[in-house]
Amino acid sequence: MFKRLFVVVLLAALILPVLPTSAQDEITLRWRTRPDNQAEIDVYQAASDEIDAAWDGVTLQYEPGGSETAGYQDTLITEITAGTAPDVFWIPGTDVARFAKLGLILNLADLAAADADFDVNAFYPQQIEQLTYSPDGSTVLWGIPRDASAFVIFYNKDLFDAAGLDYPGMGASWTWDDFRADAEAITALGEETKGFGMNAWWANWGYFVNAAGSSFFNEDRTACGLGNEATVEALTFAQALYTDGLAVPWGEDSEPGFVAGNVGMFVNGRWGTPNLIANATFNWDAAELPAGPAGQSNWLFWGAYVVNANTEHPQEAWELVKKLTSADIQGKVAALGANIPSRAYSDQAAIDAFLATFDGKVNNQAWLNGLNYGVAEAPLWAGDWSEIDRVYGEEINKVLKGEETPQEFADTICDKVSGYFEAAQ
Amino acid sequence: MSDVTLHPRSQEWPASPSSIVTAAMIWHAVLVVLSILVAISIFQMDRFPNKNDDLGNAVQGFVGLVALLPAVIAVWSSILMLRRHSLGRMLALALNYVMFVLGIFYLLHLWGLFVGFDDIANALHENRTWLIGFAFAYLAFRLAGRIPEKSPWRNPIEMIAVGLSMLTLIVLLWTGDAVKGLEHIFKTYSEPRTIFTTLAICISAFIAYSLLKLGRYFGETPEQRIAWQGWLMLSPNILGFAIFFAGPLLLSFYISFTKSVPGHTPDFVGLSNYRNILSIEFKIQSDLRDVNTSVVLRDPNGEELASNDDTEGNPALSRIEEFTLPATGLYAVHAQAGETGRTTGPYSLAIAQVSAGAGEVAPPEKLPLEYGKTVTGELKSQAGADWQFYGTTGDVVTITMRGKVYPSSVLDSGYNELDHFTVGSKRLVIGARETLFWQSLRNTLLFCLLLVPLSIIPALALAILLNSKIPGMHFFRAVYFLPSVAAVVGTAMIWRQLYDSRGFINFGLAEITQFINSILGTSIADPEIRWLTNPSLILFSVVLLATWQAIGFNTVLFLAGLQGVPRELYEAAYVDGANRWKQFLNVTLPLLAPTTFFVIVTTIITGLQVFAEPYALLSETDPIPIEGTTSVYYLYRKSFKSFEFGYGSSVAWIIFAMIFAITLIQFRFTRAKAYED
Repeated sequence: MFKRLFVVVLLAALILPVLPTSAQDEITLRWRTRPDNQAEIDVYQAASDEIDAAWDGVTLQYEPGGSETAGYQDTLITEITAGTAPDVFWIPGTDVARFAKLGLILNLADLAAADADFDVNAFYPQQIEQLTYSPDGSTVLWGIPRDASAFVIFYNKDLFDAAGLDYPGMGASWTWDDFRADAEAITALGEETKGFGMNAWWANWGYFVNAAGSSFFNEDRTACGLGNEATVEALTFAQALYTDGLAVPWGEDSEPGFVAGNVGMFVNGRWGTPNLIANATFNWDAAELPAGPAGQSNWLFWGAYVVNANTEHPQEAWELVKKLTSADIQGKVAALGANIPSRAYSDQAAIDAFLATFDGKVNNQAWLNGLNYGVAEAPLWAGDWSEIDRVYGEEINKVLKGEETPQEFADTICDKVSGYFEAAQ
Repeated sequence: MSDVTLHPRSQEWPASPSSIVTAAMIWHAVLVVLSILVAISIFQMDRFPNKNDDLGNAVQGFVGLVALLPAVIAVWSSILMLRRHSLGRMLALALNYVMFVLGIFYLLHLWGLFVGFDDIANALHENRTWLIGFAFAYLAFRLAGRIPEKSPWRNPIEMIAVGLSMLTLIVLLWTGDAVKGLEHIFKTYSEPRTIFTTLAICISAFIAYSLLKLGRYFGETPEQRIAWQGWLMLSPNILGFAIFFAGPLLLSFYISFTKSVPGHTPDFVGLSNYRNILSIEFKIQSDLRDVNTSVVLRDPNGEELASNDDTEGNPALSRIEEFTLPATGLYAVHAQAGETGRTTGPYSLAIAQVSAGAGEVAPPEKLPLEYGKTVTGELKSQAGADWQFYGTTGDVVTITMRGKVYPSSVLDSGYNELDHFTVGSKRLVIGARETLFWQSLRNTLLFCLLLVPLSIIPALALAILLNSKIPGMHFFRAVYFLPSVAAVVGTAMIWRQLYDSRGFINFGLAEITQFINSILGTSIADPEIRWLTNPSLILFSVVLLATWQAIGFNTVLFLAGLQGVPRELYEAAYVDGANRWKQFLNVTLPLLAPTTFFVIVTTIITGLQVFAEPYALLSETDPIPIEGTTSVYYLYRKSFKSFEFGYGSSVAWIIFAMIFAITLIQFRFTRAKAYED
């Protein structure tokens, strides 16, 4: 008898505290963004609490999203399908088109137009161009950029000193030829040493393609743009880095090698900095990527806060998006070192907070320079980027492992992906 | 027979049986009307848009008929109850019980409880200090349980435990602001569906409870009573299975016949997904024909020395005739063939030494192209291929290139080449609509083929070793089992470091090579194996990781099997003169046959479902290489990367059918034999 009562009491104690959260008179907004680490989770939670405390009538629930067993995007898409997704959530820039085409996110154009406080010109124009694009030419705003990032070359100063090299360079003066010569000299330092390393995903080989004057897509992004001589030139250069043994083999994680001090140069984004700060025991710094035959090139990586199309509180959700992308919040997140504010043109304080990270020991300016000429990672409205990325990836693996020539790649790649563009369907 | 005693109170009920039956019939009439309304709405739905598709109509019809099932049961049970037939009561009991349970779930949903499960953790976290009260209450209960029943201390301690837990509950409710929670529940009753659901729950519960008491009225036998009590005991399991397992399974089966994208109602497409995935065709290409070719000779510095573009007069052949080599060294021959849209085909390249120059040819390394030799290959694209040969100053050579092509494609529209086999001048081309599915299937089957022997034979050997009575064996059993319980993602990270080109495995191999060279005076090169990037090794690397994980689990199963083998049999075999090996062959193996069968079946099923290992091990490449793509990874990509949930579900059901078929075959052929032996 007593045991039964005990079990009932315990169950009630477990369930009843659940109810008050959904019982408030205030509007509850759930929001989510993908953090890189616990420190970011803490900052986002603190930001959420701060906004919540100052906002009458609205209660915020911050959810980091994802878990050990399910990635951020997998969880999000499952919840969207089940109708339980948060009111506001972050998506990567490449996903904007898919989410918008499926009607999963709200067009914020009217809310923005009625809002005197909001100015799209505060953000990088490359981002806003993508967020205001609509295939039918209508006025749209799909979200507001959370932050931005670009690639740099992280370089091991000790290895450069040992090889008697100048540190990589100052803007346009450092070319592919210089970069290769540096990679050769560092590789020659010892059997365990490699001159260069980059990880195997589209942005890394895409940089070489862009810097040679080619592009993933044609000008209006309706077809493949890789079937040209510039692609051959880019991949011939990149392939030689691998086949000549100057780089960590394509497909292997280059970061541990760089952190261990065995790789001279490593391409990565801002997100890689905290790991280096914490674990690299040698002298290192960051530089802009080398200039290719067509000049300097980089990517502008970004993601945006968007509003769930099924939210019951669109006005409040819009306010939340604005608050989350304010210079104040961006400055706080940037101060952690892994993110760069997307409000590049509205508030110098956020940018200053970023430049001051790591006490100025790292060349933070290299990222800001890269962002200025970076090509925005862009949503593909006229095709299935997921499948195109897969086919590009499969073929590039062959090239960078020396199983296929760059010419073969350029000759055949556009045929292989043509079926995934809408024009072909 | 059973000695179950019927409790006299069970036959008492204030209301007369006939009035309860009447109430049940009225309630059943309401259910009939509701059930018919739901069925009509399903039949009229636009969610099965492909109206001309027979299967579409069939599925819609099936779902509509399922919705009519409560009406049928309600009418049937009512008629039988009127005749005081026991089956009528049982049917009505079942119907109302199910209505009651489902109603409770739906009401909790309407209260918004399910979306708040995350908050349970938060509430517990925030109020974690007060949970100590429950811990003490639990300890008090445990203490009371240990005190003899007649002791005067037992009841007071139990009362203290209850008081403590009540007090803790009050504090938790207070800190959790439960009043607002109740207020929220109250507010949900502004909606008619909440009111109706609550009413339905109460009525179903009342009817079910009342009918339970009417056993004697319906002439219930003790056997029938035991039967419904048994079903009642089983019901949580049956309902749980139906709601959380069979339900989602059936839903995914339906989804597999739809085009389903996030945020939209699935569109019924019939067998289209299955057709796309499974479509495969075989074509023979035999109309091989000559094609324009060109051949270019370059000197050791890469300068072009001579070329022959195949032009008029001799479309099948390019030839550089009797060219005198200007220096000694490596020469390059670039062979090209093909025409637009016809980029693949066999070719042959021959080099003949017309007369020798400065001296003997002594190439520094073995080269594929030599004097007097013809090399053949298949050009992947019009870019051509490069070959090297070694020549000395004054050598006069003739180079001949001949190229042929097959028609650009013999495959039907929508098909891509999966593979081809060349036999003589004919070529068998295998085409598929979803080439990646077939590639992933091939990888999965190969994975299984390697995993089964690699994880079972060593596991058996290990189990025999661990079955011995050596001190500390329990420790080793735990050690070998550890990989099976470790998280795949964690272990994959470790293996990724081991597999790195500069990782521990390659370091070990380099040291071994060096040691052998120093001992034997050989010059064996460091293998520098690319475990995760060499296409022919990628799958094997995944198999090694999976094997390492599976061996521990299989070992435990074999150990259990070994401990069931009677010692007497070994003693008898020993007396008969059997040595250890013969004992193993004639006693251990036959008696382990059922265990072996189980281990093989479970290993194959695990192998066919492999996902986490390649996903975690190869995630450095995005997307992971084709060579490591398994069927379940393909399913995952289709669903979560391409947002094609209908397609993904179809793949899941194909994998299910495959696993089912393979297991069935094993059951038919292996199990029978295992038990015969």
